[in-house]
Amino acid sequence: MTLQTLACRGMATTLKPSGIRAGLILSRIPIVTQDLSKLEKQYYEYQSELEKRLMWTFPQYFYFKRGTLAEKRFLAAQKGPVSKQPGVWFPKGVPDIKHNRERRSKQVVNLPQNFGSAGGDQVSESDSISRPIVPNSRITEADRTNDTQSLERKLSATLYLLVQSTEGKWAFPSFPVASEKGAKQALHVTAESGLRELGGPNVNTWTVSSTPAGVLNGPDSAEFLVKSHIISGKFDLQHKSQYNDFAWLTKSEIQQRVDAAYYQGLSWLLADN
Amino acid sequence: MISTRKTTLKPANNMVTQFVRGKRTKSKGGLSPVLQRAVTQLSVMSAGRKQPKMLKLSREDFIKHQTIQNCWAMYQRELRDKRKEQLRMQYKSIEQAMQQLQQLDPELFDAANASEAGKRFPLEMKVPTEFPPNQVWHYNYKPKQD
Amino acid sequence: MRLIREFSSSSRSCKAACSLVKPVHHLVKIDKLRLSPRFKELKYAKNDIRSPAFKPVATHQDRVNGHYHATIQPDLLLINYSHNAQTKVGVKNREWDYSSPYHLNRQPRKPKGSAAQLPNMQPIKWHNVPAIESVVLNCYVRESKENQVLPVSAALQLQQLTGCKPQPVYARTDVPSWKVRRGTHMGAKVELRGRPMTQFLSTLTEIVLPRIREYKGISNKSGNRFGCLSFGLTSEDVKFFPEIESNQDLWPKTFGLHININSTAQDDVQARTLVSGFGFPFHGPEKIKK
Repeated sequence: MTLQTLACRGMATTLKPSGIRAGLILSRIPIVTQDLSKLEKQYYEYQSELEKRLMWTFPQYFYFKRGTLAEKRFLAAQKGPVSKQPGVWFPKGVPDIKHNRERRSKQVVNLPQNFGSAGGDQVSESDSISRPIVPNSRITEADRTNDTQSLERKLSATLYLLVQSTEGKWAFPSFPVASEKGAKQALHVTAESGLRELGGPNVNTWTVSSTPAGVLNGPDSAEFLVKSHIISGKFDLQHKSQYNDFAWLTKSEIQQRVDAAYYQGLSWLLADN
Repeated sequence: MISTRKTTLKPANNMVTQFVRGKRTKSKGGLSPVLQRAVTQLSVMSAGRKQPKMLKLSREDFIKHQTIQNCWAMYQRELRDKRKEQLRMQYKSIEQAMQQLQQLDPELFDAANASEAGKRFPLEMKVPTEFPPNQVWHYNYKPKQD
Repeated sequence: MRLIREFSSSSRSCKAACSLVKPVHHLVKIDKLRLSPRFKELKYAKNDIRSPAFKPVATHQDRVNGHYHATIQPDLLLINYSHNAQTKVGVKNREWDYSSPYHLNRQPRKPKGSAAQLPNMQPIKWHNVPAIESVVLNCYVRESKENQVLPVSAALQLQQLTGCKPQPVYARTDVPSWKVRRGTHMGAKVELRGRPMTQFLSTLTEIVLPRIREYKGISNKSGNRFGCLSFGLTSEDVKFFPEIESNQDLWPKTFGLHININSTAQDDVQARTLVSGFGFPFHGPEKIKK
């Protein structure tokens, strides 16, 4: 249905070249992996448990030479399996042990803990290799304060730059293409230079292609959307004559802010997460 | 297998010249260290004595497992179809935009239809990680002055 | 063409008086082991949990694949778009003009400017966006003709790097100048797909390649014309893999390897754009056909 409406709109309008605008879909690609759904989380857990159960015995004799101190430390860290004894009743079945592994269950390999007793305080320095690994939080400060102008929000989603016009309408930034012979530039060049004018020069972007990814037909102009990724730098609204606000939004947030018709035209171009 | 290897690969200079009752003829370190290392390496790669017991699922467990697998396959198929549909709509959208651009402004169309052969993704575009890096975003970018 | 299977006949006047159709013997190959009622488990597919070869596949989230679907694939669709593109037909075998009676039953003529037929170039649409298909690591140890222990080490090294079981590689022909005999065990190879492949690629781009001194990247001249890029790692570079680096005393000798990245791209130019999306640098001049 949407395809048909798109096609109809495309065919019906005949515009003068002066009405061409270059829109810019500037996106920040995800920095952390997608959030897993409940199904995915549980399935991965199930499969990885199966994998551990079916894994071969850890070839400890390869990593730790027999009779070395390292082997002794390694063996001390292991919780050995229960071995078979004659005349003993085992409630969980008779043990079946090969290479110091209970073959009916997964093998748990414990690595020897930090044995450097001398200078225990120095180990916890930030540049030491043996410091405990503490991952950074996937939820950042910008998420907590709901700072939509920050590039550090919603790390697992693709964010898109939207600007608010003085009438209060949210849309992707768009720039008119000069119609004079000398000043006319390709769509992506217009969009990129327009972005620099709008948001300051300190923004590093990568234009995906010179080909427009879509078109939005207005009453007197056609807006061709060019895709681009922000790589580093900062977008700061320079002078608030044309636009007075900007925000980095995910697809679902964009749907809430823009008009339904506007969203219909480009919902396919936005990444789902 | 290892034991037969030991006997066949025994070097000739280790031959026992005189028989002594009670003396070990097969010494434990019969292999040269190089060969011993190779034997260890082979045994690391091979399944011998390292395989766990096969899974024996009860009928109920097996049906549960199959249900899970079917569910996952269906989920994956839906995901695949959704992605394909989105890509198809993106293609249609590009096609429509280019058609319209061709009608409106042939000059801009030629610029937009230029070949992109030799395009490279920037190295700064990293594959997402499970947890964010210490510095999440590099704000202090300055364009090169030239 | 004339290879269409039909009844054997010599009725056509233009043909020689013998049947050109090869007789059919067995269309279905019979694996006799499977007929035996003894080993029931061996008949299950490998992804069936009752099979002894069962190995779970989807054990964790695949972040490289997720990145490909979320970012790279839509971008590649846009980059490779060309308006109203038609299928470019590759050079094909040519017919003889049958001006001479000797043209009958002759092999078809070779295509112009190529020793073999070339595939068609389809325009990139939503269903054929380039993707990485598999990665093949090939480790050929030249010294193993004197020392047959080395291929074992090479195979174990491959297994440590990838976590997959390597296959042995044998010399295919006698090469007297290199003193290689046919059938000598010369090294190992392993083909990676799915999660092991993406794991290996991310280890390579995030840990190993950045630490190689003065690494420039994959050469822009590399490629087999049909979307398969190759490059190599020296035995020194291999030491940067975390599996080798953390057990350096176990690896007094490491082995260099060749890495082939097979993709569904139709030519090398597309393949390079695709592979650069996974964080591989490229260097050197690139030849682009106009």
